Amino acid sequence: MRAYPYLAEVLADKYDVDEDKIRPEATLADLGLDSLMVVEFLFDVEDEFDIEVPDDRAEFETLDEAATLIDELIEAKGD
Amino acid sequence: MGRRVFITGLGLIAPHGEDPESVFDRIYQGDSAVRMVRSGTVDFGSDLPLATADFTPKDRIPKTQQLFMARASQMAVVAAEGALQSSGLFGVGQEGPEDGEIGVYMGCGLGGAEILQEGYRTYFVRQSRRGRPSTVPMIMASGPASHISMRFGLHGPTHTYSIACASSTVAIGEAFRAIRDGYLDTALSGGAEAMLNDGSIAAWERLGVLASSHTDGPEASSRPFDLERTGFVLGEGAALLVLEAESALQERAVDPIAEIIGYGVSSDAFSLTEPHAAGQEAAMRSAITDADIEREEVQYVNAHATGTPSGDPIEIEAIKSIFEDHASNLAVSSTKSVHGHLVGASGALETAITAIALQKGRIPPTANLTHPDPCCDLDCVPEYGREAPELTVAISNSFAFGGSNATLVLRKV
Repeated sequence: MRAYPYLAEVLADKYDVDEDKIRPEATLADLGLDSLMVVEFLFDVEDEFDIEVPDDRAEFETLDEAATLIDELIEAKGD
Repeated sequence: MGRRVFITGLGLIAPHGEDPESVFDRIYQGDSAVRMVRSGTVDFGSDLPLATADFTPKDRIPKTQQLFMARASQMAVVAAEGALQSSGLFGVGQEGPEDGEIGVYMGCGLGGAEILQEGYRTYFVRQSRRGRPSTVPMIMASGPASHISMRFGLHGPTHTYSIACASSTVAIGEAFRAIRDGYLDTALSGGAEAMLNDGSIAAWERLGVLASSHTDGPEASSRPFDLERTGFVLGEGAALLVLEAESALQERAVDPIAEIIGYGVSSDAFSLTEPHAAGQEAAMRSAITDADIEREEVQYVNAHATGTPSGDPIEIEAIKSIFEDHASNLAVSSTKSVHGHLVGASGALETAITAIALQKGRIPPTANLTHPDPCCDLDCVPEYGREAPELTVAISNSFAFGGSNATLVLRKV
């Protein structure tokens, strides 16, 4: 789980999400992010890890699923 | 005759600060907010006089909202909150006005200029097609109006007028008409502009209209009607007015600041950048006719006069042409001498200043007017403001690149 701590940190620092609410099973909608914020959030993550989330794979529900997807993409990149 | 329309609240983010009373006092004292500012980098930049606003959204707008708001929108919502509070429609800590049928009429020239710059930087400098996903909604000129509507839950018409330097005068005029004609009881109206980013400033510099610093210092660089004028000083900020129909006022105990009684517009159909006296005269004439007053009733003109060598004498010519013999009785001042040119927000700031001038019976000066240009031979209120307890009717002019002209007529309450 390389990505999860970063996701949690960005949500807390940049999107002002209450840290108590940031749990693996939480969805981004639960955390108060609307569709534009989700796209922007993914942009932050892509920038951080130098990856691209393909549109057809950006359909995760929970934070845990998002972190798993990001980890896979990081691994596929071969860092 | 339509309904009477009053200004009942003001909110400012201006180069002179935020409190309308103290902003007016500093302008009345001829106290310049212009400073030397470094634009760009050390080896690829420029020092020039600018009128920046000391504004940060920190602790004033929730962090997640700030992220999706350009600076113009941030300043607009904070100024709107000030205007709503000063009108008594919206108290501190309240969610928003109970009656959501309030219109938002805003002027803005360039929208999220700094966000657009960042998008181009990503594309051209970083050579990446992966700019911020929220770039488009952040650069829209309609951003300030939309954010005001969302933040305060205002469900009336939310309109943006992007007409260069006349943007917010037209916005206020159109809101005035909507209320006068019965389409709306209350509107938040004004303008916001924040384009003091490097790319925008470089573009303005290339147009050759900006003032260079004066030997007496940057504070003296904006000098409308003066022989030593070299151009205008760009400024930034937001100015919001609450406009209400007389009927809406009767339900609340509130003292209006001033009444708007007329609005006129015209187009030069002449040049993208050169002013045209006939068009300016037509706007003033139309506004005075709209106000249903005699031209001799006008006592003060808050001039558009930006301080360019070509523009100021044209406005004086237009004023002489419409007022004829009465022109020599007028006080004509340009407060841009101390707050700079806020472009899309300029008309709103100057309308606010004109409203307070009427309320206080004080005419603000044209600062730095020490060597009057013989071509500007009206009473341009040089250097010192003056007490004018009899001041009753004033007009505020805004004349835009592209040839759009707008004039508002205000009356003391």
